[in-house]
Amino acid sequence: MVRLALLGALLLTTVAHGTDAMAGMAGMAMGHEPPLGFDATVDRGGHLWVADTVGDHVRVRRSDDMGASFTQSTIVNPTGEAIYAEGENRPKIALGPGGEIYVTWSQPRKLPWTGFVRFSRSLDNGAHFDAPKTVHTDRAEITHRFDALIVDGKGNLVVAWIDKRDLEAATAARKPYLGAATYYTWSTDKGSTFAPERKIVDQSCECCRIALARAPDGSVDAFFRAIHGDNIRDHDLATLPVGGDALPAVQRATFTNWHIEGCPHHGPSLAIDAAGTRHAVWFSAAGGKATIWYGQLQPGKPPAHLATVANAGASHADLAADGKHVWIAYHQMTAQGLELMLRESDDGGATFGSPRVLATTASASGWPKLVVVDHRAFVAWNPEGTFRLIPVQAAP
Amino acid sequence: MNRLHTSRMRRVALASLLGAAATAFAGTAIAAVPTALSSSDVKVLVAPPSRGVRIVALWALDCAYCEENLTALATFQRAHADVDLVFVATDPIGQRDALAARLAGPDLASVPSRAYTDATPDRVNYLIDPEWGGETPRTLVIHADGSRRTFSGAIDARRIASLVN
Repeated sequence: MVRLALLGALLLTTVAHGTDAMAGMAGMAMGHEPPLGFDATVDRGGHLWVADTVGDHVRVRRSDDMGASFTQSTIVNPTGEAIYAEGENRPKIALGPGGEIYVTWSQPRKLPWTGFVRFSRSLDNGAHFDAPKTVHTDRAEITHRFDALIVDGKGNLVVAWIDKRDLEAATAARKPYLGAATYYTWSTDKGSTFAPERKIVDQSCECCRIALARAPDGSVDAFFRAIHGDNIRDHDLATLPVGGDALPAVQRATFTNWHIEGCPHHGPSLAIDAAGTRHAVWFSAAGGKATIWYGQLQPGKPPAHLATVANAGASHADLAADGKHVWIAYHQMTAQGLELMLRESDDGGATFGSPRVLATTASASGWPKLVVVDHRAFVAWNPEGTFRLIPVQAAP
Repeated sequence: MNRLHTSRMRRVALASLLGAAATAFAGTAIAAVPTALSSSDVKVLVAPPSRGVRIVALWALDCAYCEENLTALATFQRAHADVDLVFVATDPIGQRDALAARLAGPDLASVPSRAYTDATPDRVNYLIDPEWGGETPRTLVIHADGSRRTFSGAIDARRIASLVN
């Protein structure tokens, strides 16, 4: 009898332990503490805007001296909530043509791999932000994560994310389904309302960030890791219609043929220059060789000017294009520590100079983010949580 | 021995009993809670074994393919006495409860389990396997002669055997 009671007590303890573990996941980012994920952009007046997190809060700061100091710091969500803020998840910031400030992030839910895509805006230059809201109509406790945010040429907002509703439906119907779907929505009223979400593609990668970029005509392209055949995890490109009934036309855009039934945790980056050339960087470990690739996307066929940016120890590249200049920033790990690297092209991406070390840290940093101001490139970085904006070359 | 002391002794004895029972229980039905792995621990972690192979199974909470992989590796190990298996989560040790919950069950509980405790997880990745881009699951097989074989992605018994033999 006593033994039975003891076993019962232990079982109760075990159940409680398991429940606590799950509940605990809702209250924290999934990564290392403190989370270092951030985003940065520059407005027309040359002010730098940075979004990052402080505990359960998204923070937006403005710098009037290119990141040397911050003159304004506003908490977006005074009522705290769990936030994914490391690795491939980080808060995003985008600016509207009228000075609107838009922020999105992914909010972990109670169960593993679940999340909602959250949005807030400021219409008073960042002094206040509206109460956050969820951008998708689907409220199932599943993955809606890895949000990406951009403003198109007409000032419309576009938000894309990874979504597991179709995986759940397929699983319930006992049908095979690889990865997750990629969805998007848009807002034509500065984020007051969002259109019901639309699917970009089924069976895409479930753990890599999505790259969004604006084309010269103002439309938005999404570049993301897809799944082709049996877990070939290459990338697709899709132009995302805003409004109307047209569905995104999705085409394969990289052909590394990396087979992995797993999570690369490496999303791509995309920049479209004034001539419409789609410059891209992406990660692949096809053949067991970790590689950051550069190429100019030609949807439906292999990219032009394919080039290896870096190999073992390199990760999380970002790129920017301006005229004939293309800059690629990435992390290079060494046994001694982390190096922030840069490769630069002055012939439109046909060739790149040798890798250069821009900065180093013995600690960690959020993924690098390139910004261009007056045709000059800067890399936003935050080693040990301390924000820096590093010029890629000395001032003229 | 006064009454208060006797009562305390009884409480201590009961606590010990409960502790022992909990430990035994943890060994069978709850996964072992992971222990911390820092960059300075990596050298020992990846040292070649004196015989057979050591398999370092790298996984993460945010990886939907990983638990199945861990189960496949644990199953393989049970049938091969010269395989030394360790689970290494790239998540921080602060998430030990969540990690232990994922490793619950008799198949996985008996396997030694580690989790990163380092401010620079990418550096630990690099020190463990410089050829690894951080994708998960990642299986690193270290042979007694120091040679290594690796595989990224979900793994089955045949693939494991090809890495081990």
